[in-house]
Amino acid sequence: MEAFIQPGFWIFVLAMAGIYGVFSLGLQIQYGVAGVMNFGHVGMMAITGYAIAILVIRFQWSFWWAAFVGVALAALGGALLGLSTLRLSGDYFAIASIAFAEITRYWILNSDGITGGAQGTLAIPNPRGFGGYTDEPEVILTWIVDRLTPYLGDNASRDLAVLLVVWPFFFLFLWISARLQKTSWARVLRATREDDDVPRSLGKNVFRFRLQALIIGSVFGGIAGAFWAVQFMLLAPEDFLRIVTFYGWMILILAGATRVKGLAIAAIFFGFLYGATRFVEFWPISLLSAPERSYLRIFLIGVVLIALMVKRPQGLFGKRQEMVLE
Amino acid sequence: MAILEVRDISVSFGGIKPVRGVTFSVEAGSFTSIIGPNGAGKTSLFNLISGVNKIDAGEISFKGQTIHKLHAHEIASRGLVRTFQGAKVIKRLTVAENLMMAVQGNPGDSLWRFFTPRSRSKFEKHARELAMERLDRVGMTKYADDFAGILSGGQRKLLDLSRALMTNPSMILLDEPFAGVNPTLVEKLLEVLASMRKQHEITFLLIEHDLETVMNISERVIVMAEGKIIADGLPNSIYENEQVVDAYLGSRKRGA
Repeated sequence: MEAFIQPGFWIFVLAMAGIYGVFSLGLQIQYGVAGVMNFGHVGMMAITGYAIAILVIRFQWSFWWAAFVGVALAALGGALLGLSTLRLSGDYFAIASIAFAEITRYWILNSDGITGGAQGTLAIPNPRGFGGYTDEPEVILTWIVDRLTPYLGDNASRDLAVLLVVWPFFFLFLWISARLQKTSWARVLRATREDDDVPRSLGKNVFRFRLQALIIGSVFGGIAGAFWAVQFMLLAPEDFLRIVTFYGWMILILAGATRVKGLAIAAIFFGFLYGATRFVEFWPISLLSAPERSYLRIFLIGVVLIALMVKRPQGLFGKRQEMVLE
Repeated sequence: MAILEVRDISVSFGGIKPVRGVTFSVEAGSFTSIIGPNGAGKTSLFNLISGVNKIDAGEISFKGQTIHKLHAHEIASRGLVRTFQGAKVIKRLTVAENLMMAVQGNPGDSLWRFFTPRSRSKFEKHARELAMERLDRVGMTKYADDFAGILSGGQRKLLDLSRALMTNPSMILLDEPFAGVNPTLVEKLLEVLASMRKQHEITFLLIEHDLETVMNISERVIVMAEGKIIADGLPNSIYENEQVVDAYLGSRKRGA
């Protein structure tokens, strides 16, 4: 239980919550507004993360340009995914999107020469002889840590610096997204959640609207990938397993898919579940071995989701009427 | 002048041929009804004209331009809109939002206009005013901010019709607007249609099961059976047509 009273634990939980929050904001736009079920969102995260690592390490790009191009590539990934498969109806698109993420991951895994393969970005050949790609953001993180050390001592960690960078961006994105969802653009999308024929009969190009939503969501997925790349300083294919997409979905369902404002709190709640299950050591959970306990996380997430679906299908913050209305 | 011209169109879905060589044209400002038994191809015909399905052969033109190759949304934005059998409303949008979505030329529909909030909100206000005005005419202002899912069947019909009118169309295709509606509401719907005709130059093409209902409002009746037009003329002349009596009216011919 000691872990829970240590600030370091909570700082880590909050930093991860911020990154996953931005990630699930992408899903919120895609599913909550546009009704597009994207089960391959983690692919966008992988694309941006790896694009940054490859461009910085192999081509000596500046981190910032690499991040910009990386997010643009995630947007392009969203566009390609949409153009090729968005004409499929809901469930079929969801399956195709899983394939997209898996193709991305397997390509990363098998293109050793470019991506470092199974060993991750540390194995990318670097003409300068070392493996990192976070030198430039590190300057900012170190600056923040240095400023806070006199006040917080050892608690002024790198995690804290990441937290202080990620959360303002998260709030900024939440604000932009909330504004976006008040436009008539979003209203057309909310109509397409239910029915294509009506908006079409009113002159709306449903496919274009959906594609735009998919691309915007992918941009947020990509930005989350950039934060992820900075937080962990190295990337490996197993960071981008399918389960990561569903972590994002869990936050979304907790928050209530149709409301943007719950995302921050749902992300913290998820971050706690995600981080805490590593450290729970009281009986009877202490009977389990450490690797077994890591499955507890997935088990707990399942229990929470089922309980939520039974009691509050609209999520913690959604409008019940909008979710269950027939 | 003919606003809509349909020339020898056909379509087949697998082995079924719902529309087989249909030709007719509709005069601007007129009110035409299409009647026929179940499976006559009426709704299929509407789906072809509105671009929901594509024709296999023939030609459709609207205001002198061919439209059968266009997407449904492109046809709609040219001023040819439709309502749906059984009245489709977007249940999880409010009643007002259902209508506001229909106002054409909304700059807020473009993502780039996200950066010009002033022009967006100005248009939104305008759209809201139009929506409230329209709701007032059908006596539904008190439902403006409720989800459309709570409306009764009849109210949904009114909303569906009002929404089509909100697009400021030149022509509306109405798919069985009176089906399953009680007689008083039929009268109300007819009233709305009549007042729309008076105020705006809208051409109506309507599908209906029951000849009696559309007798008074229609200037012309087209009768379909088995994917073909079997009669076309003034409402009264339809009763005298032998083919129609056999295929559709049966024993319900006049005086029976």
